[in-house]
Amino acid sequence: MISIDSSNMQTDTLDLANLAQQDTALEIRNLDLRYGDKQALYDVSMKIPKKKVTAFIGPSGCGKSTLLRCINRMNDLVDSCKIDGEILLHGQNIYDKKVDVAALRRNVGMVFQRPNPFPKSIYENVVYGLRLQGINNRRELDDAAERSLRGAAIWDEVKDRLHDNAFGLSGGQQQRLVIARAIAIEPEVLLLDEPTSALDPISTLTIEELITELKEQFTVVIVTHNMQQAARVSDQTAFMYMGELVEYADTNTIFTTPKKRKTEDYITGRYG
Amino acid sequence: MGKWFKSGSPWIWMTGGAVSISLIAVLGLLLLIAWRGLSYFWPAEVYQWQLEDQQGNKSTLIGEIYDREEVPTERLISAGHQFNQHPGEFVTRYLVKTGNREFVGLDFRWILATDIISRSIPLDVAKFERTKNGNFYGYPVAVIEEGQRLELTGDAIESSLVEHIERAVTISEQALSLQKSDIGSINYQMERLRLKERKYELDGELTPERKQQIAAQLQQLNDDYLVLEKDLFALRDEAARDSVVIRDMRGEEVTLKLDSILDVTYTNHMSFIDKVGHWFVGIGRFISHDPREANTEGGVFPAIFGTVFMVMLMAVIVTPFGVIAAIYLHEYAKKGPITKMIRIAVINLAGVPSIVYGVFGLGFFVYMLGGSLDQLFYPEALPAPTFGSPGVIWSALTLAILTLPVVIVSTEEGLSRIPSAVRQGSLALGATKAETLWRIVIPMASPAIMTGLILAVARAAGEVAPLMLVGVVKLAPTLPIDMNFPFVHLERKFMHLGFHIYDVGFQSPNVEAARPLVYATSFLLVSVIVALNLTAISVRNHLREKFRSLEH
Repeated sequence: MISIDSSNMQTDTLDLANLAQQDTALEIRNLDLRYGDKQALYDVSMKIPKKKVTAFIGPSGCGKSTLLRCINRMNDLVDSCKIDGEILLHGQNIYDKKVDVAALRRNVGMVFQRPNPFPKSIYENVVYGLRLQGINNRRELDDAAERSLRGAAIWDEVKDRLHDNAFGLSGGQQQRLVIARAIAIEPEVLLLDEPTSALDPISTLTIEELITELKEQFTVVIVTHNMQQAARVSDQTAFMYMGELVEYADTNTIFTTPKKRKTEDYITGRYG
Repeated sequence: MGKWFKSGSPWIWMTGGAVSISLIAVLGLLLLIAWRGLSYFWPAEVYQWQLEDQQGNKSTLIGEIYDREEVPTERLISAGHQFNQHPGEFVTRYLVKTGNREFVGLDFRWILATDIISRSIPLDVAKFERTKNGNFYGYPVAVIEEGQRLELTGDAIESSLVEHIERAVTISEQALSLQKSDIGSINYQMERLRLKERKYELDGELTPERKQQIAAQLQQLNDDYLVLEKDLFALRDEAARDSVVIRDMRGEEVTLKLDSILDVTYTNHMSFIDKVGHWFVGIGRFISHDPREANTEGGVFPAIFGTVFMVMLMAVIVTPFGVIAAIYLHEYAKKGPITKMIRIAVINLAGVPSIVYGVFGLGFFVYMLGGSLDQLFYPEALPAPTFGSPGVIWSALTLAILTLPVVIVSTEEGLSRIPSAVRQGSLALGATKAETLWRIVIPMASPAIMTGLILAVARAAGEVAPLMLVGVVKLAPTLPIDMNFPFVHLERKFMHLGFHIYDVGFQSPNVEAARPLVYATSFLLVSVIVALNLTAISVRNHLREKFRSLEH
């Protein structure tokens, strides 16, 4: 099942530890995170390259989703959450007091585990983010809706019923709609939190193909339970275990010649 | 047996039985009220009795049977009754509505079955509904037009009578509308002018020109009034032009002026279809007319209007308040002991007896708030209060406080049912918390808000005790909405169906006449509440359909 195409092979040249500034989308520096007394992340540092797909893998509860949610500050919603360390976007720490969280989230979009469309029409779902920015020009919204629905590979299925309720769509369609909604506001980074875990195999395949297309335009970070999926879609992979970043390298290396014992055990299915 | 017990069947029977008993109780109550209330409008047969009491006095009685009961003979004898022959253990007693109040004193009479010689259903007896003194029963003999007795016989009397009564009723209605709208409006304007003058006087700005101007306006209004008054008197004279001669049960001929007669029915020769028609007309009048004769006759329109208006005003006040409070408690307040205490306090507020809210409303809203408003904005009317006395706005506010907990609790429940995934989806698109609330959360919680409103309306529409302190009256001369600027008069007192039931049933000078009205009004009150609720429920179902996602 593990197939690595030629585009992945090229990423071998990326030196992730010493990534050049212009190739870096995000830099995480010494990130610690506590939920109350319980520490969930220990001293995580990594650089995420621009316009690539980066996958976080690891067993349940290893902190991969928590790390992902730090990138657009979704953890702010948890009262007991305490964060130390920095995440740099354009050289600016996103946990700085001066940062406008809403603006950050416009720049770092997110797609969740379960499709979560709003109880509105398909069209209104897609243009929601634009309306928030005060864009109400009909033509502009129409263009953006079509562009993002095409971008999320769902345009052909919904173009005739844009004004129907979004709940009429199937799970896979809903998830692509949610992706369309996220890319409509043209973020730089797109965070995908196990985007296919609630979907059937065929929808999963569609989404995976979509992810490969998305990296043309966006930096994609994906959390997944499914190692084959990580191998299929990602350019580099981070393996996390018990809140620590164990190994981070390009996908090819991780899956063929892991340096750490834990990574190898996990990949070969000895635990996790 | 033990097995049967274990199978759970007894439990199912018990729970099912409890539901059935509740249902039977509720349906039985509604059926009783509906039957008693609605049968009042059915045209009952008018009987004529020949009576002879135990002393041998003969008499004739005309009327409708209202009630019957079996009385033990012992009791009648000990009450001083004498029977020539012992009638057995029980005697049947009939309650007869005889009408003709100004001639026979009481318009209800008990007659004993032992006194009855014969009973007949005369076809040409008529029932007159009048604006004063209740019904009149008798045989129409002749119609008098402009003092001339029309020579008519048989059916011609009936048709001529109906015709003349219709004419008189039409003219009376014109006179009433002239009096209420045109003359009422002039009186209202004159009162406003008086207040304006007084205001200038208080502000020390009453210059001679202004005084003159006001006097001129007053003069103008007065002239208008005199013209209208002349019209009114002319109309009244016109309505009183004709009269009818009726032979009553004493055998005497009585002349009644037609301006006091609303309707005549020959109940005994009506067909079933006629009776059904009459029944609907009766219900229609009950719903659309003003009450007469200390509320024991006529309709209840002002009470329906007052109830609905007050409840809607209450809903308009309580919804934003309750929703905003719930949003703060649920979305912004820190979760801690203080929030918890506030929440418990809010829930407990629902348990405070409603009369306590009435006392609070009287003390705080009416005297403090209303009194201050009067001091600040209506000093010219003092010492007569404007807002400083009970009124519909204070009633609505008092009931809004009373129902606030219900709205808060159900809104909070609605807010907590919204999946956090949807909120996070909105936040992840760069929405602030407030934007998420406005665009996603509150619309999705709207069915729950409507549920709260439904409960609030149901509670408020049935509440009477506090209203007696803060705005309800037995008879309100004007509705809270009329054609005089500013059209909505929130300071006015109003009538309420619930209070109307109490008033008609227990404060009425004529209890027997009023009793069916109590049932009819109760039925109407229940119908109004059901109608208000059904409206709200249909709105909620529409909203639910829109936000179906919550159901998964």
